[in-house]
Amino acid sequence: MLKIKNLSAYYGSVKALSGVTCHVREGEIVTLIGANGAGKTTLLNAICGLVRKDGDLAFAGRSLKGLAPEEIVGLGISQVPEGRQLFAPMTVAENLELGAYRRYRKESRAAIGEDLERVFELFPRLKDRLAQLAGTMSGGEQQMLAIGRALMARPRLLLLDEPSLGLAPIVVEDILARLSQLRNEGVTILLVEQNARAALKVADRAYVLETGRIILSGLAADLLQDRQVTRAYLGRDYKEFTEGR
Amino acid sequence: MRQPEIEAMDRGELELLQLERLQSTLTRAYRQVKFYRRQFDRLGLNLDDIKSLADLARLPCTTREDLSENYPYGLFAAPLRDIVRILSSPGTTEKPLVVGYAPPDLKLWLELLARLYVAAGVTREDILQIILPPGLANWRRDLQAGAEYLGASVIPPATLNFAKELMVMRDYKTSVLVTTPPLARHLLTVMARMDLSPAALSLKRALLVASPLPPEVRREIEAGFQVRLATAYGITEVMGPGLAFSCGADGGLHFSEDHFYPEIIDPETGNPAPPGAPGELVITTLSTVAFPLVRFRSGDRTSLIAEPCACGRTLTRLGEITGRTDPIFSVGGIKVHPDQVGALIREALGGHPPKFQHQVVSEDGLEILDIELTVEEVFFSDEIKALECLCRRARRHLADHLGINARITLKELGA
Repeated sequence: MLKIKNLSAYYGSVKALSGVTCHVREGEIVTLIGANGAGKTTLLNAICGLVRKDGDLAFAGRSLKGLAPEEIVGLGISQVPEGRQLFAPMTVAENLELGAYRRYRKESRAAIGEDLERVFELFPRLKDRLAQLAGTMSGGEQQMLAIGRALMARPRLLLLDEPSLGLAPIVVEDILARLSQLRNEGVTILLVEQNARAALKVADRAYVLETGRIILSGLAADLLQDRQVTRAYLGRDYKEFTEGR
Repeated sequence: MRQPEIEAMDRGELELLQLERLQSTLTRAYRQVKFYRRQFDRLGLNLDDIKSLADLARLPCTTREDLSENYPYGLFAAPLRDIVRILSSPGTTEKPLVVGYAPPDLKLWLELLARLYVAAGVTREDILQIILPPGLANWRRDLQAGAEYLGASVIPPATLNFAKELMVMRDYKTSVLVTTPPLARHLLTVMARMDLSPAALSLKRALLVASPLPPEVRREIEAGFQVRLATAYGITEVMGPGLAFSCGADGGLHFSEDHFYPEIIDPETGNPAPPGAPGELVITTLSTVAFPLVRFRSGDRTSLIAEPCACGRTLTRLGEITGRTDPIFSVGGIKVHPDQVGALIREALGGHPPKFQHQVVSEDGLEILDIELTVEEVFFSDEIKALECLCRRARRHLADHLGINARITLKELGA
């Protein structure tokens, strides 16, 4: 579904991503793990057309070259950015409606209403808080709203950047479980996470990024067992790590 | 097919998968192995310069001498604490060959062996008997582990004589025989001596490994055992058996291209050979973690068949192995370099450089290294007993170090 070949991305003159080749198949949850600054968010931003980039990106057979971010959203790619980026002074209902802003002219209100119901099915709590201001909700609820808002664009591919950031472990578990549910409903997901263990548990496949390049890839279940990954990203074996050999 | 989503994958998708795995393998090799980093740096190449599979040819090949020079751990790309198997074999240079495996490598390997067995028509219902010489220790262990992983009932290699092996084969109702082509031929001669007909056996298939299978030998074994034959290709440096495997259509061996990238080069110039042309097989690992190999020269002369196969697999096929590009030869499946033979005889002679000629001969199917040693004055003795003792010592030395059968005859100087 998403094919990326020899992708490099830049912030000004700084090359943050270098020669990355990877793919996401329809119906998969793929996660990108890696340390801070490895290039995970940059990869998402490159897909969305938010940073300067070189290389070939194709989504559902269409090249993303030269497309503006809003055109990329139009193709069916939505990003849930790091830190949620909600419209805090607006209500939950307004935030969700904004998620569908590209669809109002083309589609019936009924179709949009159906999607709203889908979001409520996934996150019932949002329905109870429709009139509440987004900025006054808890972190977990805000994350749910951010995902709900992205879903309102009816994406085929959902990009999530650190959805677990700042959330209690039990909330993280809940949100990630919803991702599996979404995948079962046909949404393909590319998930960026620092919380590698949680991400690997929910994902089908994973890529490990290290200073701008992919160094390892494989089934998520396998990488969860991988000693190198365990040591570097899962915070385990601290003793083993410090003692060295 | 064990993994139809891979084995019959669309070529375009497969090539993208290969490219992404190649790039991450090169990244790991560059960052973790000094030898590879130097190769890149010497050529002024950057990891970013490898943008396509064809770009791989810009990198130099890795040879058996490179492995030897980086003995023992120089080419490992993972710290030793992540390594769970350190495999040694006599190798073909002065130093033993060392290959490291991390847990994901072992798992990958079992999966590839299961793929090979499924393509050979083996199922978990089968009773599988492995008859391989001790000198092929790695093949013995891998083929046993792979068949057990698949769930077949395995009779592991034992040190029985061949008549006993055949008795086991008959009485245990073995349905799949795993052996080398020379041993299969030898078993046929023993069967004839025992007056055992293939109808008395329950054999359905035979998997022949470790040495090439010329068409006439294939027909002989097929007819003798009345079985369907399967073959596999592998080299110990690149993990072992299971690199390529035969399918029901039997037109070459499917290369497991999702984990290994094959190229054919002109052995003289080192340049890539035109598509379909014969040359030397060069292999790059795409998935292995502990011991990545970039463009390893196998020394095997063969070709790649790109045309689609009747079995439905899209994995490219390895043509017949027609010979070697180096002086290395095989004795019953065990690879030997002539220099090793020379060095071992020299040791047996107490340091005196020997004059000898050698050839591999077949005796009742078994392959034996026949060595004709020229008797020189330095170690000449009137006593036949002393000379016999010398021959015995040299023979034992070769068996000890290489695990091969040798026969040594003496030739008088000037005769």
